[in-house]
Amino acid sequence: MSALAQTAGELRHAVEDARGSWSRVAWGLAGAVVLAALLPPLSLPGVRIDSLADTLYLAVAATGLGLTVGAAGLPSLGAGAFVAIGAFTSSLLVARSGWPLEPAVLAGAAAALVAGLISGGIVRLRAAFFAAGTWLIAWLVWLFLLAFPSVSGGSQGLILPQRTLFGLDATPTVHFEVALALLVLTALAIAAVRRAAPGLELSALRQSPRLATSLGVRLGRRRLGAYAASAFVAGLAGALSVQLAAVADPAAYDPFLSFKLLVAVLLGGAAATLGPAAGVAALGLIGLVAHPLARLLQLPLDRFDTAVAAILLVFVLALGGAGIVPWLEPSLRRFRKPPRPRPQVTGSSEEGGVRAVGESVLQAVELRKVFGGVIALDGLSLQLARGETVALVGPNGSGKTTALRLISGAEPPDSGRVLFEGRTLTDEPTPDRVRLGVARTLQATSYFPELTALQSVLVGRSVRRRYGGAIRTALATPNARREALTSEAAALGALALVGLEEVADVPAPELTTSQRRLVALAAGLASEPDLLLVDELAAGAGTEELERIAHVLARIRERGVAVLLVEHSLRLVRLAADRVLVLAAGRPVAEGSVAEVAASDVVRQTYLGTQRL
Amino acid sequence: MCVAVLAAGCGKSSRASGGKIVVAVDVPVTGSPYVAENVRHGVALAAQNLNSGGGILVGSRTYQLVPKLYDNHLSARQAVEDTRRALDAGAVAIVTDGTGLDATWQLANRDHVPIAITYDGGTGLVDPVKRPNVFRIAPTNHGIAFRYAEYLIPKGLKIGLLHDDSAYGQEGAADLEHAFSENPRSVALRMTLPAGATDLSAQILRARRTGATALLVWGQPSTIAAVLTAARSIGWKVPVYSSPTGADPFIRQQLADHPSWVDGLTFAGGRLTAEVGTGPFESFASQYQSAYGADKVGVKTSGGRPVIQPPELAMYAYDFTHVLVAALTRAGSLDATKILVAMNEVSTQGANGDERGFNRNSHEGVVDDDVYFARFHDMTYAPVKDDPLSSTLPVIPQTP
Repeated sequence: MSALAQTAGELRHAVEDARGSWSRVAWGLAGAVVLAALLPPLSLPGVRIDSLADTLYLAVAATGLGLTVGAAGLPSLGAGAFVAIGAFTSSLLVARSGWPLEPAVLAGAAAALVAGLISGGIVRLRAAFFAAGTWLIAWLVWLFLLAFPSVSGGSQGLILPQRTLFGLDATPTVHFEVALALLVLTALAIAAVRRAAPGLELSALRQSPRLATSLGVRLGRRRLGAYAASAFVAGLAGALSVQLAAVADPAAYDPFLSFKLLVAVLLGGAAATLGPAAGVAALGLIGLVAHPLARLLQLPLDRFDTAVAAILLVFVLALGGAGIVPWLEPSLRRFRKPPRPRPQVTGSSEEGGVRAVGESVLQAVELRKVFGGVIALDGLSLQLARGETVALVGPNGSGKTTALRLISGAEPPDSGRVLFEGRTLTDEPTPDRVRLGVARTLQATSYFPELTALQSVLVGRSVRRRYGGAIRTALATPNARREALTSEAAALGALALVGLEEVADVPAPELTTSQRRLVALAAGLASEPDLLLVDELAAGAGTEELERIAHVLARIRERGVAVLLVEHSLRLVRLAADRVLVLAAGRPVAEGSVAEVAASDVVRQTYLGTQRL
Repeated sequence: MCVAVLAAGCGKSSRASGGKIVVAVDVPVTGSPYVAENVRHGVALAAQNLNSGGGILVGSRTYQLVPKLYDNHLSARQAVEDTRRALDAGAVAIVTDGTGLDATWQLANRDHVPIAITYDGGTGLVDPVKRPNVFRIAPTNHGIAFRYAEYLIPKGLKIGLLHDDSAYGQEGAADLEHAFSENPRSVALRMTLPAGATDLSAQILRARRTGATALLVWGQPSTIAAVLTAARSIGWKVPVYSSPTGADPFIRQQLADHPSWVDGLTFAGGRLTAEVGTGPFESFASQYQSAYGADKVGVKTSGGRPVIQPPELAMYAYDFTHVLVAALTRAGSLDATKILVAMNEVSTQGANGDERGFNRNSHEGVVDDDVYFARFHDMTYAPVKDDPLSSTLPVIPQTP
């Protein structure tokens, strides 16, 4: 089969899939877009095409910003700066260097992308500091434009010569159609990204950065990707809208533009892909009412706009911050199609299969960690072989969790080494260790409150994706589509392994505590680990639940996965562990089979007391 | 959402038809109200006169002339938006102060709609070959700069050329530079001032230290007021010359508590009277005051009489409207191409008695020799006596 025929086949499948999954809401939106595209030739009285095109470009920038604010949970107050960078880069190239419009627009977007990547270090900051950082960027760019009139054209701005766009005179009508197409494409791409693996990872990072990172999600890279993508879209919108305006005027890119974009995103609903565009439309509507009022009160329009936007922001936040589209969603739900039935998956279908049992997987050598003056771990050495379950027990503060953190990469050891399959891991960050095959579940009952059980497990699966990047996902390449299906199958397999396949679509908050723990275990398993670090899986579990967990651990062991189990439940230790290592005050005090450790006087004195193992 | 997006684009009115002809007036209502009001009233007065005389005969039909006001906020970007709105409203011409003209002329030219500048004298704004739809009735920067060079260099002054960093200031500075380039020894310094700054003491002290014996300031009215304040408050009685913005009432309002600081300020402008005497302009000013009241400056003479601003800019807008109507009549139709062609073929008598008109080679309605200099005394101004082209001009009354 030729590549062309293969591509055509894939496209046909994609169209069929899309058509099959379209709801009445989707058809309604498609109809609205077609109607909107027909507006300019209709020449409706009272409708200004240039204002509409400008509004659409603003909606494009806001939709891009939705990725940073909604998906990544980063309150960016600097989107206007990227709009300005796109606008002035393209303007300078067109006005001073005589570039054609199309490459100049792309260069503007690229400049905004570069600026996003350069300033991207702030994505690791906490939300409040991130907001302050982006607000500073908005001010810096604006002040730069004011301070360098040779670049920005001074108070009159850069006057742009008329150019053609895609071979057509760049009239407001052409800009309107381009802006509409760009908005649709941006929304589709962002919707695809948000629904797929990159979106899930961003969402997971937003809800619980610690849990997501422990599952191998790269916080910096994912957030930077979202932030830079938003910058690119903002730059693209800025580069095109400035050509429509015919003048690159620094006054049009003051920090209020950034504020307005954020208000639009929050007003429309950051959680929904179409929320930001709805927010821009709502601001436009409010402007229609507010501007005559401002004129009546003889107030300056620009200041009045700021005041209205600020009041709206307070209003939205006071009502929970959801925004227009999420508020409307319950009433639109009845128009949605029920989810497609999934292929039946059993535990045995989980990817990865059974590994060779017996060979050494983990070797920890003389690990030591001191926090301040407290020795948390001192000289821990241990070895794990494939298919072996080792329990790490000891009193509170004995260093069990610290040991897991050092092995998983959450903390660097002060001294000692961690070797995984003969390779030194000591300096590898957690996500890289997860990729190599070291998975960890967290001690606390952490979960992702906005994800279903299956989605939570898919977050753990993300490290195994090869074609799940944002660009491939947005373009829905055949490999990405195929991999999305196999990932879902693997995640369902992991859920089946822990006996939770029936609750795959249940939101995490509706699961029992026990189920949430098992979902976390499944998320770890979905990464196809060779070594699973399990932290207090049975905390608070009843007898039946313990036996169920022990059964699950046994099935995991059968697959050749080495398990290091930190556990307070001695019953589970007895049921599941092949060997036991006892820690006391950070030091190993005994090691051996369950029976050997149970018989140790030292263990009785330091840990068991009157308890029986 | 579609409804909302649609609503966001509302504002276009239906194309002018039937008995009305729209003339757009795009001026900085917020930003430079003095200029805006003058230009707006000039067009409105012309329209009122023409309409009350039975309207405008175009072909076999009679039309009423309707001015439509737009506020460009002194912003080129806003001027572009206003121009689009004006074109959508079916305007046959756009009268502007000149804001954003480098961008707007292309849009208007696409529809063959003439644009008239009635304030900005920037060099390069008007070019009959490259910008066939741009006309101007206002003194040019080029003419003013060269008249200043002719006027000041023979006095043997060491001149400090100051301009602010507004577009207006920078355009003027370029023309001054050109005009004084042949006699560089007459220039003591060149300095850019921040537009909108209220305290220019440091800059003025520096100018004084360079040995300047006169200051020529080109900039916004606020800049000129700040220069006068800084110079006079340190007791420096240096003669100050300025761009046409020196006549702006804003300066006198700002310095109302120090009338002596305004005394001696000399500005350049287009002369208000013609060889035929002051009669035509006084008649025009009288009509203007009847229609809109006197433009009170907001200050009084030492004798306690309120000062009135002569409607100079209104005169230019008024004259252009009459030229436009002559072109409409000549074209005999509302076809934009024909109107634009006719704009090069007609002339009318202006409000001050001068002939106003354009041709294929010149779209300037005020010739360079029409530039005169006036000097303030007691909050009113009069033509200077030491310039041959100014000394013979009569004084326009500025008190009731």
